[in-house]
Amino acid sequence: MAAYRADDDYDYLFKVVLIGDSGVGKSNLLSRFTRNEFSLESKSTIGVEFATRSIRVDDKIVKAQIWDTAGQERYRAITSAYYRGAVGALLVYDVTRHVTFKNVERWLKELRDHTDSNIVIMLIGNKADLRHLRAVSTEDAKAFAERENTFFMETSALESMNVENAFTEVLTQIHHVVSRKALDIGDDPAALPKGQTINVGSKDDVSAVKKVGCCSS
Amino acid sequence: MKNSASGEPDSYFAIRPECQGDVPKARFKPKIGKTLSARRWHAAFSQDGHLDIAGVLRRIQRGGVHPSIKGVVWEFLLGCFDPNSTFNERNEVRQRRREQYDALKAECQKMVPIIGSGKFITAAIINDDGQPMQDPSTSSDPHDNIGVMSSNDAVSDKKVIQWKLSLHQIGLDVVRTDRALVFYESEINQAKLWDILSVYAWVDNDIGYVQGMNDICSPMVILLENEADAFWCFQHAMRRLRENFRSSSSSIGVQTQLSTLSEIIKTVDPKLHQHLEEVDGGEYLFAFRMLMVLFRREFSFIDGLYLWEVMWAMEYNPNIFASYEESDSNVATGKNVAPKISNKLLKQYGKFERKNVETGRTDQNSPLAVFLVASVLETKNKRLLKEAKGLDDVVKIVGDITGKLDARKALNEALKIHKKYLNKAKK
Repeated sequence: MAAYRADDDYDYLFKVVLIGDSGVGKSNLLSRFTRNEFSLESKSTIGVEFATRSIRVDDKIVKAQIWDTAGQERYRAITSAYYRGAVGALLVYDVTRHVTFKNVERWLKELRDHTDSNIVIMLIGNKADLRHLRAVSTEDAKAFAERENTFFMETSALESMNVENAFTEVLTQIHHVVSRKALDIGDDPAALPKGQTINVGSKDDVSAVKKVGCCSS
Repeated sequence: MKNSASGEPDSYFAIRPECQGDVPKARFKPKIGKTLSARRWHAAFSQDGHLDIAGVLRRIQRGGVHPSIKGVVWEFLLGCFDPNSTFNERNEVRQRRREQYDALKAECQKMVPIIGSGKFITAAIINDDGQPMQDPSTSSDPHDNIGVMSSNDAVSDKKVIQWKLSLHQIGLDVVRTDRALVFYESEINQAKLWDILSVYAWVDNDIGYVQGMNDICSPMVILLENEADAFWCFQHAMRRLRENFRSSSSSIGVQTQLSTLSEIIKTVDPKLHQHLEEVDGGEYLFAFRMLMVLFRREFSFIDGLYLWEVMWAMEYNPNIFASYEESDSNVATGKNVAPKISNKLLKQYGKFERKNVETGRTDQNSPLAVFLVASVLETKNKRLLKEAKGLDDVVKIVGDITGKLDARKALNEALKIHKKYLNKAKK
């Protein structure tokens, strides 16, 4: 694992949210990425929890402030505070539970209703290590991601597969969006300009991401 | 109740050896002369069963409750029973409640036969429209057993649909509740937790089931062997917590307490409040979980229980039982039927509630837990002002301290903030 940088020294601060149904592994993806930890005994998330990690993207230090939320519908009440200012989102489903993939559509709608159109979205099929229990094919998810113009990757927080890649890719893409708009940003590096839509999820980008993925069995 | 006679708390709430590293270290140790011991507890009853609640509260506020008697003591702290009643009267209440629970459970069982079977579900049994699920891909989980589920046709009653839709969520949380404890290695014990939460969600359908209620219920299941007793203990704990769990499309109940917290900090330390606002923490969302599950996640299992009982002792109001019974029988009278408050009666209040009574405050939105969060923030105010540049820093700084807190000392600090707040708010 690469050395983790001190948190107070960074060029950009990006707020990224983790969303998806209850029990798909959001919190473990977060702890794998920020602390390189995974727990089989992990507890359900209550309300919102936060963690950060800084990584190098291109030649810049990017600090990701990642918000993790409870999956239960009842917690949607705090949605607006949750999404406010988010520039990236990992939308997670569980490859062994089809219903969590079905609900991705609902999550996507909520995300688009509450965030800036520039937001970088990655669809994540987690628990890819449970090969014998797979209920969602990589092809179906890939097709969905292309249709919806989001990035896509399959991950395993348990096996530490693609977790680093997924977050890094999202942060890199955010950085690209920001760099393209650098002139408008002024002295607030965390803010994305409003208004003009940047199509960060073009098909070319998606396939570029897919090459990084490696997990269909 | 437990087979260990040793006084070591670890033996009551044993941690699986392979999980030792994953959970916070237990700090609580029963202290001779401070902690309410089994011997002291039994000695606090008169011959016919009247309890010297003032003496018991004094002890608990000094050193908590010995693990061997937590369950029965909590029943009083939470207002399940009136200390001013006899053994016989309480036995009757207990008997009546057990029958009532059995009836409620039977009602649920009729709709969903897996309830009470020792098994439970983690995948939805119906879809949002109330149609039974048939897609086999939704039931890959070993706990799912479509065969034992209610067979029948589409459910039409909205209340029933809503309840059935919550059952798999309860299951998903039960398998993630206190799994580091040996107790929950047993599927029977997991199913007991699921049963209680499921019945509760049916009975209190206004609130239903919200994630976090499992954290509140889990200790009751461990402490009270009888399932019905555990249910009623949980139900009484929920009487003071349920508003936190009430959710609408635009808000969730606990936000009322977060506003109170904001009000308190604004009053006792305006500078800190302003700083928190500047780092986008003005909504105090970082305290959300602390208030929802009463610091359970910040402490080890045993230390969480210690915190709860000291807190409930400090909040104790001798009218609690009467007011609950009254609200159940729907007798509409003025709240707080407190007779003239004599010195003797004042001793039957916990420290925190006594202060409220003395100053004439009966604010439901300002429980001690809110002042506890405030005092934690206050303790760290210098570091927060200097080092917190973002919400995550706030979380980290607050997290650093909560893990090291002694529950009793922390609550006494909270009482000081409470006093300070009352004084300042008066002006």
